[in-house]
Amino acid sequence: MNISKIANLKYFYKHTKNVSKILSFITFSLFIVGIFWGLYIAPKDYLQGDSYRIIYVHVPAAWLSLQVYIVMAVTGFIALVWKIKIMEIISIQSASIGAYFTLIALVTGMIWGKPTWGTYWVWDARLTSELILLFLYIGIIVIYSSFTDKRQGAKIAALLAIVGLINIPIIHYSVEWWNTLHQGPTVTKFEKPSAHITMLMPLLYMLLVFNLYFVTVLIKRVRLGIFQREKNTKWMENYLND
Amino acid sequence: MNSIIFKKEIYTYFRNLNYIFLPLIFFFLVISIFPLVIGPNKSLIAKIIPGIIWITIIFTSLLSSSNFFKDDYNNGIIEMYLTSEKSIEFILFLKIIICWFFTIFPIIIFIPIVSIMFNISLHTLTTIFLTLLLGTPVLVSIGIFGSALTMGISKNNILGPIITVPFYIPVLIFSASAIESVSNGLPYDLQIYVLLSILLLILPTMPYLLKYTLRISINN
Amino acid sequence: MKNIDILVDNATCLRGDNLIFDNISFNLSNGEILFIMGPNGCGKTTLIRSLCGIQHLENGCIKINNVNINNPECNFLENLVYIGHNDSLSENLTTYENLEYLNKFDLSNKDEFISNPNKFLKFFDISKYKNYLVSELSQGNKKKVALSRLLFTNKKIWVLDEPLSFLDEDSKNNLIKLFLDHITNGGLIVTSTHIDFSNYFEKSKYLNMKGININE
Repeated sequence: MNISKIANLKYFYKHTKNVSKILSFITFSLFIVGIFWGLYIAPKDYLQGDSYRIIYVHVPAAWLSLQVYIVMAVTGFIALVWKIKIMEIISIQSASIGAYFTLIALVTGMIWGKPTWGTYWVWDARLTSELILLFLYIGIIVIYSSFTDKRQGAKIAALLAIVGLINIPIIHYSVEWWNTLHQGPTVTKFEKPSAHITMLMPLLYMLLVFNLYFVTVLIKRVRLGIFQREKNTKWMENYLND
Repeated sequence: MNSIIFKKEIYTYFRNLNYIFLPLIFFFLVISIFPLVIGPNKSLIAKIIPGIIWITIIFTSLLSSSNFFKDDYNNGIIEMYLTSEKSIEFILFLKIIICWFFTIFPIIIFIPIVSIMFNISLHTLTTIFLTLLLGTPVLVSIGIFGSALTMGISKNNILGPIITVPFYIPVLIFSASAIESVSNGLPYDLQIYVLLSILLLILPTMPYLLKYTLRISINN
Repeated sequence: MKNIDILVDNATCLRGDNLIFDNISFNLSNGEILFIMGPNGCGKTTLIRSLCGIQHLENGCIKINNVNINNPECNFLENLVYIGHNDSLSENLTTYENLEYLNKFDLSNKDEFISNPNKFLKFFDISKYKNYLVSELSQGNKKKVALSRLLFTNKKIWVLDEPLSFLDEDSKNNLIKLFLDHITNGGLIVTSTHIDFSNYFEKSKYLNMKGININE
């Protein structure tokens, strides 16, 4: 049974080299198309002008920041319960990708906030929970890197991710509740300007491209993770020498 | 009643009275520093003192819980627990309660002194009391969970706090808001009920989560 | 009397990505003692921990009475007592309180210990430390307190990590006496050691962690 597990890593490593190259190419080209679509073809917003166009990066990044957390926690759960090595690697490698998405969402949110709110940062519910999400990600990355035994680090990090996943809705709703209590009026600025289909289409497209990007980077990082773990094994030596 | 099991946890504190007094002293020290930093403006201090009390409580509970399992881990007692056929959930539950009782509860008792120092009205004081009673056991449980996660790492002084503080946020928000509501003369039942339900959710489940975490931390 | 069989089959263990030991196999049944020998860092402690189910095995399995110990239905811990090289003693309790505490955790003759603790303290000659805090004891005396647990446990399998370290000659002989008693009563002992004392035992097995083979 165990031999199939090691073989699984081996199989993944050997067979994803080309996949990852092709995926990178596809993602990059689709991304160029998406940027062009979002920044030039999509119409201007009647209220916010051109500044709204940052949503084509901000919204997918914010979406992915949560989605990656779910991926990380679910694969972590599988890794803990069924002790599947590759799931461990996927879970922990997702953490830093998710942290980057969260950071992008935060920074673009701040840039967007300048023309919308007149300031880079407001303690808005969404920004605040995104910031807490970043801290959750950082906690997971930091605890993993503190272990010299990386397998144990991955397990502990997976456990933290699962507990965090249960907590995210609680944290999110309490922050939202806190926000409505303290600064109701600023949120109304965000009221939906009933997005037109011509604006919505590139957004959905970008969401797809970001997902593709996540998968591409994840495959690359998992390959790196496998390499770091298995660099001393025979098959890796043989494979590199071939 | 498993008297020796109870005694062991209590003696840890009775025979090291510093475990009880140091958090208390730390709390009052930090609380007293705030006016020196923000100025002795009475109305400003009255407005932010609930927040200050809660922030200070967080630091204090982190101090006592972030290395909670260190001794038991180094002495091999965690291994003993996990190689015993007895279920250890009750012991872990006892550990949480006793840690709270000896490190945080004394502070809660002495909160009236803070209210004299900072002119807190009696009405607000009772709410602060109530939120602390409901909220701090949750903080301690989460802190102990953090220490179980970081138990196997040799140098982890600040790691436990970094991973646990985000989990404190719901308790903090509802406690602070209850106190704010009462000082503005608004009802605060909702916040108290939320705090109570968080407490009732965390306390019974935490021992099971801790046991599982300890198992992983000593590598299985 | 219950029959107990321990079977370790092809056990392989990694820490991080480093191999600690691989392909360790042995079996042990009632009345047998196994000495695990080998230089520092060869994985003796890890093997002993994996026998107690607190160390994950990368490969292979450990079965007690033909049931894998990872199986949740295998209540092997009710037959097993483990004393690690950390003594499992609380520094804030006295010798007597510590033994009372350990007594609580083992399936043991509790009343006998409570009514006559001196009988148990006398065996390793620690009666005079009865009311000393464990933090005040020397390493050797701590070890003796930890090993006193073996006197009142009813468990059949003893898994001990370096029980002889820090012990003086008398205590060593006492411990060997205790081992012989346990073995003639049909117990099983797995112990790691640096000192070869297999000549005291008729049926001893011997596992050399470097050579990875068993000589009877």
